[in-house]
Amino acid sequence: MVGIPTGLISIVPENSKQMGPPRIFTPKDFKLGNCLGGPFQVELQRKVLRDALSRWEAREEAGTLWEREYAEYTGYDDSWKKVLEEG
Amino acid sequence: MPMSRRCIPYTPRTRELGQSVFALVTTAGVHLRAQEPFEVAGDNSWREIPGDVQAGDLMVTHDHYDHRDADQDINCVFPIDRLRELAAGEVIGGVAEKHLGFMGFSQNLRDLYERVAPEMARIILHTNADAVLLTAG
Repeated sequence: MVGIPTGLISIVPENSKQMGPPRIFTPKDFKLGNCLGGPFQVELQRKVLRDALSRWEAREEAGTLWEREYAEYTGYDDSWKKVLEEG
Repeated sequence: MPMSRRCIPYTPRTRELGQSVFALVTTAGVHLRAQEPFEVAGDNSWREIPGDVQAGDLMVTHDHYDHRDADQDINCVFPIDRLRELAAGEVIGGVAEKHLGFMGFSQNLRDLYERVAPEMARIILHTNADAVLLTAG
């Protein structure tokens, strides 16, 4: 079967690496359920996705793990609730 | 030919990012609201998600992570809107006609490795996708 180039966004890289993913990107210290960021954190989600895609695009050794920190991610930012309340 | 579990299956890309159509495959338990929910005690089934799905038509069935954030905004684990924005901005070539949702908690790993993963890969290979982005919960 012909393969397809894949990239993985994982927030538990120590587990994911055991499966041998070809490209793995980890936003550092994101909590479970926030693979790309918190709810309605659009700019952050976009940034994480762009960074993951840049790793997909890079021609590097199979199985390389990239990690990046995002200062804007707090993990417990509930400002999205205000967005919903304000409609 | 069966692959050694020690090797890393790596397929090099043959297109530039801006020419590549991406499919999403997730183990975060994402599926259409109209589809049968996953069996959270263990489930090797998958759900096909149409490429033109609206975020509001998606939900999460999963007992092994707190998905309250994803319940509010599916893009936390299944970035369909973010992917569409990148396609509109021509950062990527497009969004695939089909995506796959999977629950990811299973006790039947052999079935996962020998049947499920290859079948899911075949489904994606028969779409217009040039690339796959995998996400989890």
